[in-house]
Amino acid sequence: MYSTIISGALLGVNACMVHVEVDVTSGLPAISMVGSLGGEVREAKERVMAAMKNAGLSIPPKHVTINLSPADLRKEGTAYDLPIAVAMLEAFSFFKQGSATDILFLGELGLNGEIKPVRGVLPIVREAAKQGIKECIVPAANAREGAVIPDICVRGTESLEQVLCFLLSEGEEREKLLPVSRVSIEELMQEGQEANENDFAEVKGQEAAKRAAKIAAAGFHNLLMLGPPGAGKSMIAKRIPGIMPPLTLEESLEVTAIYSVAGQLGDRSLICQRPFQSPHHTISAPALTGGGMRPKPGMISLAHRSVLFLDELPEFQRSSLDSLRQPMEDKKVQISRVGGNLIYPADFMLVCAMNPCPCGYFPDRNRCRCTQPQIKQYAGRVSGPILDRIDLCVELQNVDVLSLHEAKSGEDSASMRRDVERVRAIQAKRFHGKRYRFNGDIQAADMDEFCSLGQEEMRCMEKLYHELGLSARSYHRIRKVARTIADLEGEERIRTPHLLEAAMYRPAQEVWKA
Amino acid sequence: MEETYYMQWLQSIHHLSGKSARKVLELYPDPGELLRDAREHWEQMFSAGQGKILWERIQETRSLQDMQEQYEKLMEKGIRFVHERQKEYPARLKMIPDAPLGLYYKGKLPGAEGLTVAMIGARDCSEYGSYVARELGKYLGQRGITVISGMARGIDGISQGAVLEAGGESYAVLGCGVDICYPSSNRNIYDILVERGGVLSTYPPGTKPLGSNFPPRNRIVSGLADALVVVEARLKSGTLSTVDMALEQGREVYVVPGRVTDRLSDGCNRLLRQGAGVFLDPESFVEELEESCFLKRISPIKEREKGISMERSPGEEGRGMNREKLPELSAELLELWQALEYEPRSVADIREHVKNTLSLQQCSTGLMQLVLLGHARQVFSGYFSKV
Repeated sequence: MYSTIISGALLGVNACMVHVEVDVTSGLPAISMVGSLGGEVREAKERVMAAMKNAGLSIPPKHVTINLSPADLRKEGTAYDLPIAVAMLEAFSFFKQGSATDILFLGELGLNGEIKPVRGVLPIVREAAKQGIKECIVPAANAREGAVIPDICVRGTESLEQVLCFLLSEGEEREKLLPVSRVSIEELMQEGQEANENDFAEVKGQEAAKRAAKIAAAGFHNLLMLGPPGAGKSMIAKRIPGIMPPLTLEESLEVTAIYSVAGQLGDRSLICQRPFQSPHHTISAPALTGGGMRPKPGMISLAHRSVLFLDELPEFQRSSLDSLRQPMEDKKVQISRVGGNLIYPADFMLVCAMNPCPCGYFPDRNRCRCTQPQIKQYAGRVSGPILDRIDLCVELQNVDVLSLHEAKSGEDSASMRRDVERVRAIQAKRFHGKRYRFNGDIQAADMDEFCSLGQEEMRCMEKLYHELGLSARSYHRIRKVARTIADLEGEERIRTPHLLEAAMYRPAQEVWKA
Repeated sequence: MEETYYMQWLQSIHHLSGKSARKVLELYPDPGELLRDAREHWEQMFSAGQGKILWERIQETRSLQDMQEQYEKLMEKGIRFVHERQKEYPARLKMIPDAPLGLYYKGKLPGAEGLTVAMIGARDCSEYGSYVARELGKYLGQRGITVISGMARGIDGISQGAVLEAGGESYAVLGCGVDICYPSSNRNIYDILVERGGVLSTYPPGTKPLGSNFPPRNRIVSGLADALVVVEARLKSGTLSTVDMALEQGREVYVVPGRVTDRLSDGCNRLLRQGAGVFLDPESFVEELEESCFLKRISPIKEREKGISMERSPGEEGRGMNREKLPELSAELLELWQALEYEPRSVADIREHVKNTLSLQQCSTGLMQLVLLGHARQVFSGYFSKV
């Protein structure tokens, strides 16, 4: 007897359909599995056999061949347990032939027949919907995740017995056994936007840094914060995602898919808030960019459409930081393996924080006793190419306790977000039809089109160039940042004050050299 | 000439103080005799360690020929050597306790004529310190007053750089061999010094800049000068050891006062409290110095008697550091400029000190404008100081 069941495989954050075929013939009792299988897929037969036995199903001793097609695609993960079990049940005629056609199955089996959650349900269900499949049966814990995809019924199941009962019944009864899981996307999005715990109003003082954070968020510029310990660098960084415009549904699905593939979705069904990722400085290059023996998205992909915060930048391994270079250019990570290439999206805003010197108090010479060479050496630990990709640099002041009580809370996140959204709208119009979407990404070739300068501004730029000893790269950077500042101020053209302010934020690398 | 070879050879023995070297000279006026003598003699005369070092060197040096070769090698490298029996040996140095037997140098040696001032201070100095060092160095350079220092990072290098820029004469006493430029960041100063002034050291060429070499060289810095100016010093610093040496040598010590809240001025203020001379501005400093040196020369024993008067002497009006003219700026920029200090201040701080309420952006752009006009310096991303 032969049967085939639909399942899915992950390709990066995308998916493709996999057919699980089972053929049962007479002969010496054996189960053989083929189809370019990874170790955990090969183990599936043990789990399936035990689960079926414990579900009270006895399998006659036959020669069973299991094939996962397309057979040249490397299969990994434990999600094939359930489709294999269902295919075998069908091949052994436990239920009527054809009862399981056009249903996609995903799930890991326990030996007692229970069904456990798996990674990557969202992208697979999305692909299934695209292929016209109308129904999915996934682990109960993943049902809410799959349910965000429209035009497809997703049912969550907890055990193999439930699945069998479902397949044995028909029509109305089916709905009773495994009800279709439903979520309201509007509600989720609404909740996500309201549940913003961190507000900029809690940051007292540090107006300059807040201003820089706003500019950075508005133009998607990378930001470096310098300052003594305890000045509030992490506090500010944490609040940056909150002033970006809320995720659109499309963006939300993108981000959720990455989390689903990484197995970090937990019990959330849709990620509606921009995530904030802050890896520890001991992180390895593969953990940061993604990869590993069984490739998984790294921190930079988990920060997709949001903020990657690197605190204590000089403490990061140089190799880890250098691995960011390519993804920052391409806005995605490509992981090449013998079996093929994987692509994880990684369009993130880099926010870094560091002390200006080993003790952290420079340029307050009353507290800082670091020597000039020490300071230079400390700054030198940060990989140059990374500093080159930072548009704004801002220094935070040391805050004393007294002024913490006195200080006004200043602007709150809501008002900052309004400004950012306004600037984003301008950019959406400006970059219509371009490959990029933000001022931070303006290419040198398009500089004259988007960041054109008048005569007076040209003169100012020339002066800046000579007085500050700028490099060609920082020259462009200043123009890009000035563009965002002009947008914030609601000006069509870049004016001299915008250039001057942008020049003040030029990365410290040059200031350090002086 | 043989004497010079001998002297140079003695000077090149590390850990042999001037005193011990003189003792050797006294006992063995003839180097040949020294080379022939047995080890036992040495160990009786010196401490065991010193005797051993000396003995090892004697073993290395077989003959007078070797001494001569060693000396000639130096000459080839452009390094000179002067010893105390030569008339070129700096006269001021002869007076100090434990004067070195000889000096290695590149360039010239400081002359006996004319005022000579030593300027010292912290390596990691503040903007204030570097400003005073620059101004004083410039003034001394213009007045043709010789400046001695250690060519170290910070105050030393800044003052010497300013002297040379003003066309003055300066000498550096190094804690390493004169053929080594330490710190290497002062390469430009080193090169000009070799041309127009001199680089001096008691250590034989090739000696590495070890930490232990620096305290002994400090006595040469103060010893070569008539007066010592301390620009900036912390409470515990090498600078203060130089002051001790200077007092021991009977040099005038002047100190630049600082704010009591500045840790980098703590050492200076402590010295002032102990009664050191107060440096207020370059003009009156030089005037006072000239007077006291003149008095010293005619009656070295007589204590200087100087009435303290509250009245300002003529010509003192309008003196003092930081009497710069207000730059011609718009009212807004001028106010910003006045809120600047020589210490770096953050934009937020400056904004608080400006009477008119300026927005943060206005403040930042105004400050950047001042930078472009050359009236301010951006020390760090959000920190500005006066130029």
